[in-house]
Amino acid sequence: MHLKYESFVREPLVDGNKNYHQVSEDIISPIEQKPGRMWYIGFFFSLVLLSYGVFSVCWAVYWGLGTWGVNRTIGWGWDITNFVWWIGIGHAGTLISAILLLFRQGWRTGVNRAAEAMTIFAVMCAGQFPIWHMGRVWDAFYVLPLPNSRGPLWPNFDSPLLWDVFAISTYFTVSLLFWYSGLIPDFATIRDRAHTKLRKALYGLASFGWTGTAKSWQRMEMLALVLAGLSTPLVLSVHTIVSFDFATSVIPGWHTTIFPPYFVAGAVFSGFAMVNTLLVITRKILHLEEYITIGHLEAMNKIIVLTGSIVGVAYLTELFMSWYSQSWGEQAAFKWRIMGPYWWSYWAMMTCNVVSPQLFWIKKLRRNIPFTFIMSIVVNIGMWFERFVIIVTSTYRDWIPGSWAYYSPTWTEVGFYLGTFGLFFTCYFLFAKYFPVVAVHEIKFVLKTSGDNYKREMAKIDAMPLEAFAHEYVNSHEEHEEHHEAVAHHS
Amino acid sequence: MSQKQYWKGLDELNNPDAYNSLAENEFKEELPFDLNDNLLAATTPRRDFLKFLGFSTVAATLVAGCEMPVRKVVPYAIKPEDITPGVPNYYASTFVDGGDYCAVVIKTRDGRPIKLEGNELSSITKGGTTARVQASVLNLYDKARIRHPYSGGAEATFATIDGEISAALAGKPGYLVTCSIMSPTVKDVIGKFLTKFPNIKHVVYDAISYSAMLMANEACYGKRVLPTYHFDKAQTIVSLDADFLGTWLSPVEFSKGYSKGRKVSAKNLKLSSHFHIEPMQTITGAAADQRATCRPSEMGAIAAALHEAVVKGTQPSLSSPKLNEVVTKAAKALNGAKGAGLVVCGTNDVNIQTIVNSINDHIEANGATVNWVSTNNCRQGVDSEMVAFVDAMNAGQVGSVLLHGVNPAYDYFDAKKFVEGLSKVALTVSFAERMDETAQKCKYVVPDHHFLESWGDAEPKPNYFSLMQPGIAPLFKTRAFADSLLTWAAAGTTYGDLWKQFWMTKLGSQENFDKALQNGVIEPTGDMPNGKEAFKGNVDEAIAKATAKKSAGGTELVIYQKIALGHGGPWSNNPWLQEMADPITRTTWDNYVCVSPKRAKELDAELTGFTEVDTKKRVVNVKGTNGYSVKLPVIVVPGMSNDVVAIAVGYGRDKKVGMAAASDDATGLGGRNAYPFMTYDGASFQSYTTATVEKTAEKFDVAVIQTHSSYEGRPVIHEYTLEEFSKDPKVLLKDRGKEITEFATLPWMEGTEGADNAVDSTIEEGYRKNGTLYPNYPYEGIKWGMSIDLNSCTGCGACIIGCQAENNVSVVGKDHVLKAHEMHWIRIDRYFSGKAEEPDTIQTIFQPMLCQHCDNAPCENVCPVSATNHSSEGLNQMAYNRCIGTKYCANNCPYKVRHFNWMDWNGADCFEDNQYEDYRRDGLNDDLTRMVLNPDVTVRSRGVMEKCSFCVQRLQEAKLYAKKEDRPMKDGEARTACQMACPTDAIVFGNMNDQASEIHKLRRQEQAERTFYVLEHIHVLPNVNYLARIRNTEEIVAGDEKKDNIFSDHI
Repeated sequence: MHLKYESFVREPLVDGNKNYHQVSEDIISPIEQKPGRMWYIGFFFSLVLLSYGVFSVCWAVYWGLGTWGVNRTIGWGWDITNFVWWIGIGHAGTLISAILLLFRQGWRTGVNRAAEAMTIFAVMCAGQFPIWHMGRVWDAFYVLPLPNSRGPLWPNFDSPLLWDVFAISTYFTVSLLFWYSGLIPDFATIRDRAHTKLRKALYGLASFGWTGTAKSWQRMEMLALVLAGLSTPLVLSVHTIVSFDFATSVIPGWHTTIFPPYFVAGAVFSGFAMVNTLLVITRKILHLEEYITIGHLEAMNKIIVLTGSIVGVAYLTELFMSWYSQSWGEQAAFKWRIMGPYWWSYWAMMTCNVVSPQLFWIKKLRRNIPFTFIMSIVVNIGMWFERFVIIVTSTYRDWIPGSWAYYSPTWTEVGFYLGTFGLFFTCYFLFAKYFPVVAVHEIKFVLKTSGDNYKREMAKIDAMPLEAFAHEYVNSHEEHEEHHEAVAHHS
Repeated sequence: MSQKQYWKGLDELNNPDAYNSLAENEFKEELPFDLNDNLLAATTPRRDFLKFLGFSTVAATLVAGCEMPVRKVVPYAIKPEDITPGVPNYYASTFVDGGDYCAVVIKTRDGRPIKLEGNELSSITKGGTTARVQASVLNLYDKARIRHPYSGGAEATFATIDGEISAALAGKPGYLVTCSIMSPTVKDVIGKFLTKFPNIKHVVYDAISYSAMLMANEACYGKRVLPTYHFDKAQTIVSLDADFLGTWLSPVEFSKGYSKGRKVSAKNLKLSSHFHIEPMQTITGAAADQRATCRPSEMGAIAAALHEAVVKGTQPSLSSPKLNEVVTKAAKALNGAKGAGLVVCGTNDVNIQTIVNSINDHIEANGATVNWVSTNNCRQGVDSEMVAFVDAMNAGQVGSVLLHGVNPAYDYFDAKKFVEGLSKVALTVSFAERMDETAQKCKYVVPDHHFLESWGDAEPKPNYFSLMQPGIAPLFKTRAFADSLLTWAAAGTTYGDLWKQFWMTKLGSQENFDKALQNGVIEPTGDMPNGKEAFKGNVDEAIAKATAKKSAGGTELVIYQKIALGHGGPWSNNPWLQEMADPITRTTWDNYVCVSPKRAKELDAELTGFTEVDTKKRVVNVKGTNGYSVKLPVIVVPGMSNDVVAIAVGYGRDKKVGMAAASDDATGLGGRNAYPFMTYDGASFQSYTTATVEKTAEKFDVAVIQTHSSYEGRPVIHEYTLEEFSKDPKVLLKDRGKEITEFATLPWMEGTEGADNAVDSTIEEGYRKNGTLYPNYPYEGIKWGMSIDLNSCTGCGACIIGCQAENNVSVVGKDHVLKAHEMHWIRIDRYFSGKAEEPDTIQTIFQPMLCQHCDNAPCENVCPVSATNHSSEGLNQMAYNRCIGTKYCANNCPYKVRHFNWMDWNGADCFEDNQYEDYRRDGLNDDLTRMVLNPDVTVRSRGVMEKCSFCVQRLQEAKLYAKKEDRPMKDGEARTACQMACPTDAIVFGNMNDQASEIHKLRRQEQAERTFYVLEHIHVLPNVNYLARIRNTEEIVAGDEKKDNIFSDHI
């Protein structure tokens, strides 16, 4: 039976009267045109930020990390806070593309491409921090288990930092492959539509000579499933391993078994918020409201309220455990976190991450675009503070009161962070200009089940009495085929 | 001989032309390069292209990568007999700085002194040192040292100025002003000089004066000398503002003696009892068992009250109940310890010193703890003579002034008057080592040698001699002070000859002389001669006069010496000392006004958990009665009297004294000179005055190393009263048991229920093995361990500088201390407990903190590249070359003793021209200053982590010596720098696997009951243990929320 049916309870994933051609037209034509003024302005500012970041990093590498504010007590500050923050953001894309693919969530099609791109760019940004926070970055390759002439000298496989190296590089590789393999048919579409030689050549190269044969599609689907299977555990493992950086230590506030699930939930939380931030802007600027619908945003907001509540429970569990453990170090660490000189960071985290997302229980707010946008920013601020709270407010008042200290970032650290925004948005603007920001072939795949016009067409059929339906669609199979095709083409 | 030709092969013989043409060509075959213009079109372009590519890449890498900075070295053309490169030579010598004395051993490497150790053969300093002694080696290589004589501000030669000076000396009355001189030969030279020039008078001037004691002793005992105080023989010690462990008179000697009475153990529960009354907080006050604060002007009344209480049993009626209590208790204890009591007083007031003499006489200290036979030559200056000299200059009666070892233009109470007077003198000569404030005003500067370049001697006590021999030839065109005098007096001899002759005569033979030079000290055998002197002072008159001096009320300002910088002098320009945190305030680089927490509140500078982390401190304006005023930031010191503020001397120096000494001109707030606050009361200089303190709107960055002052009642420190400890010597072991016993056995093993949970060595062993899932590493052979006694540690900081000198620890400068980037491998944490606003309740404790060399080191497992790892001897070691600087180890160190090289402090980086510069520490990277570096220890580059290594270079050396002699290493052969520097023997180090070693005996037997490990419960298994503090007092306030509001207030 070839009838594609989806319940009317589910809202359409593609709004408006779309057919296959229109989809291609809507999504690909921005690539073929000159970008708008907003794009140039945005891209310029991104480049400025990126240059400032490069300058800040060069400054720190040349003069030394003493240009940063981190110190003998607080060895990690904004650097690792930003690392964990970006890595967290980098979780949403793969979660959307892999886990939601395995769970057959059709709504992922509208957002997965942008989310995956965001993941890759976020992981690129994240990767900068552990590299440039090294005192002797020119020796960074010591962490790689390379055969070497220094005798049997290997990295220390006990160190969570080394696990990070493997976890992040694997995650980045798999995410990149996943993203790129999905891009191949779309690149082929751009190639086929291209009017200029150069574009044809470049997109032809990028699409690896995709011909769109059934075999190609079948292989691509297989690859997508395999990669989805591979990256699903990675989504969970990356942040779990990042959390081991802290959980395996002896510092109160770090030494916690709750960290792996709590970090993963937090990562999804911040990742989805970041996807929302980007999509609200992207859909507006590229006029993709019909592909990235309010329904999409709402679905993401639901995940935000869920994961926000999970991190809220985690925060409270930490507090409970510090009391219940009866360990003086643990109790004091949380006391100083909440009431010490850094009290504001703890309460910023609590407000942004636990209290404010609860407003998403209200449907009206979930579907309100300005509110969604503001919340997505608030959540990311909150998640930044969460990492700051974990990293800085655990070390600043640890075991020996004589060594307690305080930490404020310097311009180089702030510049480095801003620079990663520059890197991220430079990549994102290039992506928005040269890549289809919505997966064209995947939209086409769901168009006939979840497209608004097809669903409306289906409404007529849905309203048919059972006998009539049976007569038309079960018994006169051939007739329907023609009829249906005609309808589709007509509209 | 004919030119015979040899051929190398038949080819050469048979066909020389062809052979030669081949031989000319280095490569006999054509190189496989197709040198075609069109490379890609050549016959084998691809391969050649890759070859070229490979060759050029390798060549470029080699050329670029192999370039090393060119360093010039001067080799020994002819090796001196006694210098073997890589092997240190040791020379016994003597440290003197004015009246400060220490017998030392100079360690030289390749002909340059790099480290000083205390000379253990001296029965006075007994191998102890101070921070200043340790740092003095850096002064030798100070860039600011004067490099040649000056005449009228221009370079001159000795020959020209000698003529001019000796011609000008005769005639008008002149003065030779010197610091206290302990050297018998220099005194001899001065005698010769004064004989030649009878118009010249010798005046002894000490910036920090003990004149009142000298005068009082003269009045009471007929001798203008200072006695020797035997703190080791004193059971009851009462100190009235005498910081005898820190800065008063002879701190090394006193610390050694004092610590003997403080080493209590479960087997020997005898603990001296120390009463202390002072206006501000000093390390001696911190060590005291009973402490009360007072106004400095009250000291007369207090001394009188103590006298009356001791003699007549009168109840004192002083300004505070605590003062009355302490005086009453002290009097009772003194009377109960006849012959074993001791009262000392730091006030420069003849009457008060007379009263103190009378008390000591009354409690039979005279001849027991106060030694009038072997007296103390450390200070000889009489204030009134100096004042008379300045008056004479101003009256225009002086024709010549020679200044040696003094700097009145900076440290005289009325420096302006001195300078004015000096300008009226025709011939002014300074022997200063650096262009200090006085030398700048002198016509001639004839620079003296540094003591490490000098021959000399000292007689700190009668018949106790100490020889000074140089560790290096003079670096600059300098000349010994005595030589200058001899030249001008035309004595026809040099100081060297005179010195040699003096000692040869005294010692009798070359053999004895050599031995004395080798030992460094010449002392009578047996115990130090002791004896009493009949007291004939008029104590009633003294009491009447002392009590008549009434306080004017209001705020009183105390001028004090910091342990690091002392009176100022050359020390102000010593970056090691500038960056050494003051033991009490934990502050570096600049001076400040110490105020009590209560006073701070009034000045809007309250110290809370929130403000303590703010580096910007409130600036106040302090104005003395003489109109002098300074603007300085406020540092809050719990334990200061609420009526008192205090400012340290040694700061506010002129830029020419050196870069490190120069205060911050940009803000005008860096360091300020406090000497002008001093006053002269007609008999002696007074280091206190009434003052007004006004709040200003300004704030100023102060580089404080430790922000939090309470140990929060954590088991990081254990303190007990003597009573608690005597009642139950296992009290600490039980406290430790609460933390670890439950982990010492496995669930299925026999439990420890029913036992008193006191830790013993089996539980310790069980905890080591069963507190972890991992297998236990058996340490066979050597297992290093260190013990630090919190009772003996006075916080003096000698270990910090000793470590810095030994291990090339970097100075980071004020800006980086502000960012908590300091590098000290050993720091001394200072904790206060008690009620912040009630200074008399404050108890202070010091805890030296260094790498604990944990056997389960949390730093080691987190390093991604194994740059930090564990040795089979229990050392936590750093491979600097492997370190990539992730700082993860520092984060995971529970003791926070790992230090990162944030900047290129030393020029050891692979980047050029990126050394960190801060004008006050710039001199450290000078080629001259770098001569102080210890070649046995790597100079760390930027970006690597570093930390205490237990002086692994010394351990290796000791092991190698033992190995060469084919014997096991003996206990005491391997000693760390901090251990050797310590004047109180608080640090014991050795091989725990050696049953006979001191550390083993201490931990397992003698001090088993006082042994604890910091953060033992996290199972990091430190190899450093501490011995609990036992206070001879009624209660421990730390951690008790009712009594310790530093604990509860300081969020």
